[in-house]
Amino acid sequence: MLKKRIIPKFLIRGGRLVKGVGFHDNFREAGNPVSTAKVYDAYGVDELMFVDIDATLENRETTGSIIERVSEEVFMPFTVGGGIRSLEHIATLLRSGADKVSITSEAALAPEFIRTAASRFGDQCIVVGLDYARTSDGSLRLYTHGGTRATNLDPVEYAQRMQDYHAGEILLCSIDRDGTMSGYDLDLIHVLSEKLDIPLIASSGAGSLAHCAEALNAGASAITISSMFLFSDHSPIKVRTYLETNGLPVRSQKGSHS
Amino acid sequence: MIAIVDYGMGNVRSLSNAFEYLGEDVIVTDDPLAMDDADRIVLPGVGAFGDAMQAMHQRGVIVPLNRQVLELRKPLLGICLGMQLVAKESVEHGHHQGLGWVDARIERLTPASPLKVPHVGWNSLDFPARDWLFEGIRQKEANFYFVHSFHMVCANPQDRIATTDYGGDVTAVVRHGNIVVMQFHPEKSQDNGLRLLQNWVNWSA
Repeated sequence: MLKKRIIPKFLIRGGRLVKGVGFHDNFREAGNPVSTAKVYDAYGVDELMFVDIDATLENRETTGSIIERVSEEVFMPFTVGGGIRSLEHIATLLRSGADKVSITSEAALAPEFIRTAASRFGDQCIVVGLDYARTSDGSLRLYTHGGTRATNLDPVEYAQRMQDYHAGEILLCSIDRDGTMSGYDLDLIHVLSEKLDIPLIASSGAGSLAHCAEALNAGASAITISSMFLFSDHSPIKVRTYLETNGLPVRSQKGSHS
Repeated sequence: MIAIVDYGMGNVRSLSNAFEYLGEDVIVTDDPLAMDDADRIVLPGVGAFGDAMQAMHQRGVIVPLNRQVLELRKPLLGICLGMQLVAKESVEHGHHQGLGWVDARIERLTPASPLKVPHVGWNSLDFPARDWLFEGIRQKEANFYFVHSFHMVCANPQDRIATTDYGGDVTAVVRHGNIVVMQFHPEKSQDNGLRLLQNWVNWSA
């Protein structure tokens, strides 16, 4: 039976891990990417996700060197995102050891890029990041450029269109909830996982063990966790044990060689 | 020495890192002479079937691969798309001829809702007891990392030695003489995957 995935998500800025609130406020230092990856590998988490948060804003491509070093140290799947807008960049990241890439701004600005990338590298490599926030009139809108630019796109329609363009997975990120540890957006997770035929990775808002179970029960195939791992005492082992106790299919054994 | 065949598509670095972690000499190459020097051949692959066959043609690796695997009968390990390429044909984005080393075809996964495609994540394997490939791996902890939308359907059921359940049996490992191919990524499956690679390295076809 396929297991639900627990994915620590790390933001990289200037070669270090950071964590903020609401995408661009109050960044806190959160460690060295390679040594942190080794720690989570030893915990037996199911995947790792790295997002270079400077990349789009400063027109800078994610450095492959961090990825290369991670792939020398840990033998588990990882996804890399941030500022990806060329096939060459994807090829470089995959060659460096990444299994999947996540693409957010470029998917919204040039949707054909997703179709082209999927046909070259396979649908399963291409994760489309969907950053959204609630506007003052109460509607949900897609954002680009690290949550700094609103579009007029509706997240649900957009996710379905990205599936049609051969996205392999959707990574759902709520700008309103990011870093707040106030729980995932269960309503949208439920709607999207019903509508989509591709896996949904729920992100933004994990603050308690119950939050994790709620998101998976709402239909997510995977959850990303960031602040809760970095700034609370909830380890991946506690999350996994809690989910297992609550009847969710998770890997029960420790996974790492170290 | 292990030769990982480089035709421009694949998780070559992760694979070579895993074999180096196990203490093996590895060369990533498209050179027929380097393949001649190797004891074992690994065929990696990430991407679309048709593009991969075309890339292998362009790199000129198909003739030397046939020699290593079919004539010299060196142990061959195919992973993910590298598994699928050994089949006779695939229906991914059209119709494509494969290497044809195993009598099988590649078809799209079509599990019933609510199961999603691609099949992404850790899934358990059903494998035979006392098989050298799975030595040291406990059945109840045998989770491996899958990420694929297409799967191998074998003409000869005895070639299929391990399956995973995703809305029905999905081929996970096929063995045919000196050829061993797997749909999941051992190089990304933490301890279980490294153990499987070690078992393959220990095996003489």
